[in-house]
Amino acid sequence: MISNAHLRPAWLGVSLYSVIALAALVALLSYASPSSWGSFFSDPYTWRVVRFSFMQASLSALLSILLAIPMASCLFHRRFWGRQTLLSLFAISMVVPTIVAILGIVVVYGRNGWFTALFGQPFPLYGLGGILIAHVFFNMPLAVRIILQAYDLIPDAQWRLASQLGFSRWRVFQLVEWHYLKKNLPGLFLLIFMLCFSGFAVVLSLGGGPRSSTLEVAIYQALRFEFDLNKASYLSLLQVVICSVVALAVYRFAPPVRQDVSLYQGGRLPLRSSKWTSGLDYGVLSVVLLWVLPPFVAILSPVFTELFWLSLLDSQLWRGLWHSVRIALPSGVLALLMGLSIAAIARAWRWHPRRNRWAVRLEQSGNLVLMVPSLVLATGLFLLFRHLGVSIKHAYWIVVWVNAVMALPFVLRAIMPVMYQQEKRFRQLYQQMNIVGWSRLRIEWRTIRPALAQGLAYAVLLSLGDLGVVALFGSKGLETLPMYLYQLIGSYRVEQGACVAVVLIGLCLVLFYGITRLLGGRRAVV
Amino acid sequence: MLSFDVQYQWQNFEAHYQGQFAVGATSILGASGCGKSTLLSLLGGYVVGQGSIGFSGQDLSLSPPFERPITTLFQSDNLFPQLSVWDNVAIGICASRSLSSAQKEKVTWALEQVQLSDCHTKYPDQLSGGQAQRVAIARVLVRDKPILLLDEPFSALDPKLRSDMLVLIKTLTETYQWTTVMVTHSPADAVLLGGNVLLVEAGKIVAQTDAKKLYELPSESPFCDYLSVS
Repeated sequence: MISNAHLRPAWLGVSLYSVIALAALVALLSYASPSSWGSFFSDPYTWRVVRFSFMQASLSALLSILLAIPMASCLFHRRFWGRQTLLSLFAISMVVPTIVAILGIVVVYGRNGWFTALFGQPFPLYGLGGILIAHVFFNMPLAVRIILQAYDLIPDAQWRLASQLGFSRWRVFQLVEWHYLKKNLPGLFLLIFMLCFSGFAVVLSLGGGPRSSTLEVAIYQALRFEFDLNKASYLSLLQVVICSVVALAVYRFAPPVRQDVSLYQGGRLPLRSSKWTSGLDYGVLSVVLLWVLPPFVAILSPVFTELFWLSLLDSQLWRGLWHSVRIALPSGVLALLMGLSIAAIARAWRWHPRRNRWAVRLEQSGNLVLMVPSLVLATGLFLLFRHLGVSIKHAYWIVVWVNAVMALPFVLRAIMPVMYQQEKRFRQLYQQMNIVGWSRLRIEWRTIRPALAQGLAYAVLLSLGDLGVVALFGSKGLETLPMYLYQLIGSYRVEQGACVAVVLIGLCLVLFYGITRLLGGRRAVV
Repeated sequence: MLSFDVQYQWQNFEAHYQGQFAVGATSILGASGCGKSTLLSLLGGYVVGQGSIGFSGQDLSLSPPFERPITTLFQSDNLFPQLSVWDNVAIGICASRSLSSAQKEKVTWALEQVQLSDCHTKYPDQLSGGQAQRVAIARVLVRDKPILLLDEPFSALDPKLRSDMLVLIKTLTETYQWTTVMVTHSPADAVLLGGNVLLVEAGKIVAQTDAKKLYELPSESPFCDYLSVS
């Protein structure tokens, strides 16, 4: 089986993800006693949490996508001053550590914040309002970038034809763009829904009490405060079941799309413009800027204070920075390797007459992890290690692996479209000359490296901002910057915390630009 | 009369086209990379050069493609794969596809002209290459523009189908008094389409003749050089 031998390293990558995840889940579930679940099931608090999780996740996903579609269209069709900066800002706001963004949002919308100063009355931040502000802040930019990637897959020939036929922006959206976007929207909705459904840090900080809690927070409470593995297992299973039902429903109604590949490559051609589309562009741009910009300004404002320069001398800050980097870089690389493994096998199956159904399932399995709370994976892995007699000093590897797995859906989103497109266009050429494995990667390198860089950068930055898993093991010599920041905010040293936030953002920027330039090359989308 | 005097530069390639196309068919011959398709792209508005392009007293050189009285038939990708045959033709009249009954009849008529009436519900990926180009021709008919530019649109078709297409284009050009300009690699196609033949070399129009006389030219004609190696 020469044709399959080159996929062996990929299988290793896939099992590194799936076998360990399965083992961790089994380890946790072995502590479950389903006979006692009846009392959990009839608990009205659980169902209130489920209802609220469901509502806030659906609203967050809908709002993010409804804003992202006109925003992406505007960014694709218009060239304006600051466009590139805005795209970079989106990239950052997607991966800015949650706790940092929450800090920025509190400064803007909090009781004594800018909003109160401007309008004379406070914004109802704690509860659904704050959760939506934060979730859209994180996920609308993600949606814009994923939709822009779909735009890039529209063949140039379609724009040439649209220009010849005198289509307006609205018409071109209806007849061309929508056919390419709608294939991506169900998956995108699902991604954002699951991210918000299992929202942890945002809901913990801005939920404002048990009235607006999510399952993930309930699981954290069960694990951290009650150490009730049985209850945690029940709540995790409940989360997995709800997410699976939503996923099945979304994929069932996902429309099939006729997509083509064209060899024509041309420049940008004019479309018929109208006042309506210009007005919509400016309107959407204003809403998005008002949503995303103020928290950033709020985070960066402490740079001009003396306290900022003083807190740079704090040795705990630099220790936190070192721990953050030594977790984030390996877990980013691990996530990219696992993502590439899934991509390699999925695309080898995609056009195979019998295995093509499995390609989609394999790709979806990378997203499955969004349904499984990271805390559950981490606890499961911890129990597994304990069962195998490995001591807790290996919590480092647990954190690295869980962070890598959690970043996998983002890595897949970044690399799958271009990996599939290469396969679709050149599959027969590669088959004819039997170019596989390493030699194929070298040929494709120039085309796929911007996507790989984007995937790696997301994974590293997500891991850098993680507060969930590291909060569970945080006291064992893994005090990362977000942990340190969380402790500072907890002990009401908010101003010093704001300074740590600036350093953390700086680190994010350095790593993001470093990775996209070094791995992505000059063509990388930043 | 479509007249033009345009210059265009891209990397090491420099072109300067001067001339005019009368009503009727004109074919453009020339070696690969000599700038045949560039001339068509300049006329269609898909690349912008310097100079003037005039038609019936109107300067087109700065107009976007959709404001020029021109339909271009490209070598490939003339149809939207996500739209049915009927819709692909209908968008030539009105992008919203909300047609009056007279306009609907026009679409039906155009599909009849290219003998594809029974394919109107199909999608482009269910058509052969020749059928796809005929759908594009049906859209040319409903768009009803006085100028038709053809950028080797039949080069991928087999000889019989190709000659059928050329005869169809020739008939339509004569019937509707179009100014039709076709870029081709094949002198035989130019002869079949009839009308004038131009020769382009290194970004310039270097010779012109009647299609009927293409094979009877004196040996010093630049065409002879091209024909002997093509």
